[in-house]
Amino acid sequence: MNNSARSEIFARLRHACQSAEAENIQRALPPTDSAPGAPLPSDDLATAFLTNVLKNQGTVECVANRSAAVKALADYVYRHFRSHRLVAGNDANLAAMPWREAGVLPRFGAIEPGEPVALSYALLGIAETGATALQTGKANPAVNNFLSEHHLVLVDSSRLVATMEQAWARIRQEMNKSGRPRGYNFIAGPSSTGDIEGQLVYGAHGPRNWHVILMGDIAATALEDARALAGK
Amino acid sequence: MKQTSDTFLENASAALADSGKSQRRDLLALFSPLMRDAAMGSFGQFEELRDHVRQVRQHSLDHLDHYLAQFEQQAAENGNRVHFASDGDAMNSIVLDICQEHRAQRIAKGKSMVTEETGLNDYLQRAGLSVMETDLGEYIIQQAGETPSHIVGPALHKSAAEVRELFLSRHDLGERDLGEIADLVGEARLVLREHFLKAEVGIIGSNALVAENGYSMLVTNEGNGDLCANLPKVLIICTTLDRILPRLEDATAMLRLLVRSATGQPQTCYTSFYSGPRRELDTDGPLETHIVLLDNRRSEILASDYREMLQCIRCGACLNHCPIYAGVGGHAYGWVYPGPMGSILTPLLTSLEQSTDLPNACTSCGRCGEVCPAGIPLPDLLRDLRHEESERKLSPTRWRWGLKMHAWLARQPRLYHALTAVGIFGMHLLGRRRGRFASLPMAAGWTSQRDFPAPQGKTFMQQYSALQRQQQAAADAGKRGGRSTRRPDPRRPGTRRQDATRKAPAGTGKRAHPGGPRGKKPRRRTGDE
Repeated sequence: MNNSARSEIFARLRHACQSAEAENIQRALPPTDSAPGAPLPSDDLATAFLTNVLKNQGTVECVANRSAAVKALADYVYRHFRSHRLVAGNDANLAAMPWREAGVLPRFGAIEPGEPVALSYALLGIAETGATALQTGKANPAVNNFLSEHHLVLVDSSRLVATMEQAWARIRQEMNKSGRPRGYNFIAGPSSTGDIEGQLVYGAHGPRNWHVILMGDIAATALEDARALAGK
Repeated sequence: MKQTSDTFLENASAALADSGKSQRRDLLALFSPLMRDAAMGSFGQFEELRDHVRQVRQHSLDHLDHYLAQFEQQAAENGNRVHFASDGDAMNSIVLDICQEHRAQRIAKGKSMVTEETGLNDYLQRAGLSVMETDLGEYIIQQAGETPSHIVGPALHKSAAEVRELFLSRHDLGERDLGEIADLVGEARLVLREHFLKAEVGIIGSNALVAENGYSMLVTNEGNGDLCANLPKVLIICTTLDRILPRLEDATAMLRLLVRSATGQPQTCYTSFYSGPRRELDTDGPLETHIVLLDNRRSEILASDYREMLQCIRCGACLNHCPIYAGVGGHAYGWVYPGPMGSILTPLLTSLEQSTDLPNACTSCGRCGEVCPAGIPLPDLLRDLRHEESERKLSPTRWRWGLKMHAWLARQPRLYHALTAVGIFGMHLLGRRRGRFASLPMAAGWTSQRDFPAPQGKTFMQQYSALQRQQQAAADAGKRGGRSTRRPDPRRPGTRRQDATRKAPAGTGKRAHPGGPRGKKPRRRTGDE
């Protein structure tokens, strides 16, 4: 029955479509670069990214290297929970962090209900949208992105891109190397809803807080500039 | 869902009588356009992006047979089972079969207008399954036993106080205040978290299907759709053929318009792309994934003169900008899709006979066409449906004769001008003293609500000709006097639209502006059976 539905639908579509050769269809497709993107708030990529993260109601920190990153993470967790417990996926980048230096060691794996903090290592940071791109899998179970109260995302500054088109170009390279992952989550803010009287409230079903730590060689004034641009 | 579009006028009168809800609608109609305008303003290149996205959407529809086959193949390679459903019942029964195959009792559902269209919840519940809507708005109306009033904010017709009452009566959580909207959101989070963790099957919709690699795009702010997609062991994506786009870039180019048009945000909190079941080394995600592709007349629409309607990206901007929607709200339309897009989709997906009033629920103001991010000529399509009603004698005889007489008269310019000049002068004499009419014969629909201003004595054409003569005389007399200042206003959106690069299929012509003549004969889809 399903098969007959399939052939009926395709018959109707063929009647309504142009039935061109695949090559000609490919050629008629408008190029992706004719789609304008949103203007960036700053010429500096890191500043632009941080500005949009702030506008998306994220909180941000900049650190110079991995030692500073673990210290910032430990401080964040302690500040909010008076503990050093957090969960992270089995990501080689995270496993190699100097956790001892900050006296904190994540539990590596998928989040369990009740665990409040999860850490992810971003595949990319996208300046245009102020989003962190995460890839599902062992290195970052998708539940870690959605079931925590506080979602911390570490972004290496070498992984910043300006536009979604550039993000896809980088992702395609990865995909060609290691196949298609189950999913990509582009996260641009703490979970929110405007479903009651159109009033925006944070902490709908996903994390209530989204904290981005940008790591690497970043202009000293980037964060300050971003706060000024975002009005925060 | 039971359709009540045939009683639109009664529904609308009832809605207008509820002043509390009217006030909330007025506020939404005021603020939603402002948010959208601000978002588009800071984006800057709305027209350019709209042109691009429209071309891609039209291209995808022109070659839907090709892209659908490509998507099906890629999705199957990713490990999905792909199902085809000709109509709503077929989709419902496919979904129920999957649930029963897994002996599933608890279903967590993300927001999906397609499953509203097919009445999936009722169908599954009749079979004894427990179905929980998880989008806050959908959850509220499910608890209240209502239907969505808006395609993006389904519960926007309810006040916080109403939601509070609802939660106090539906959730057995003891004494509590719930005075703030944030408290209500927090309670829904608490209650629904349990359902997410216990559900055996997750059902979501899709904002785009990517043909090149079989990924499905899911756009939410709450993250509920992602919880449905990641926690239960079985995932079912219920969507329609027309969601297909060729490339990943096309989905995110469309997203730039979708989000700004829908909520005025530059970006939603969560934009996800899912390809299928969990991979070998994955520690989470569904073990089995299904994609159910619904046709439900969309292939017929594709073959008709209304095919542009399939470009719709379901942003809700036309609802937010429609004076009729603002006046009467979504429920008056009597089916799943309200507002301008609903007034076109409802007749096409159900029948024109059942929804004769909907294409007439239009002031021809053209705002919907101006803001539509998919570039759909909504006012034209609405007018075409009205024309079809007239052709098929579905509209009242009085209207049809009136229109016929007017059409005949409009084709005799001399007579037309003479008669209007007499009429206007007569009304000018009669209304001179008060400057307005409180009632007029045959125009009670107007004068029952407001006064009709008395004409000033001359028709537009008389004044225009007089001005022309004056300018001509001035030009003859002076040196460079009467240069014409009339030129098309470049800011008018309709006059800028160009379809230059489009390879149009037969029957789709360029049009001058929304409301203007379409470059084709109104040949319509024939069967509405």
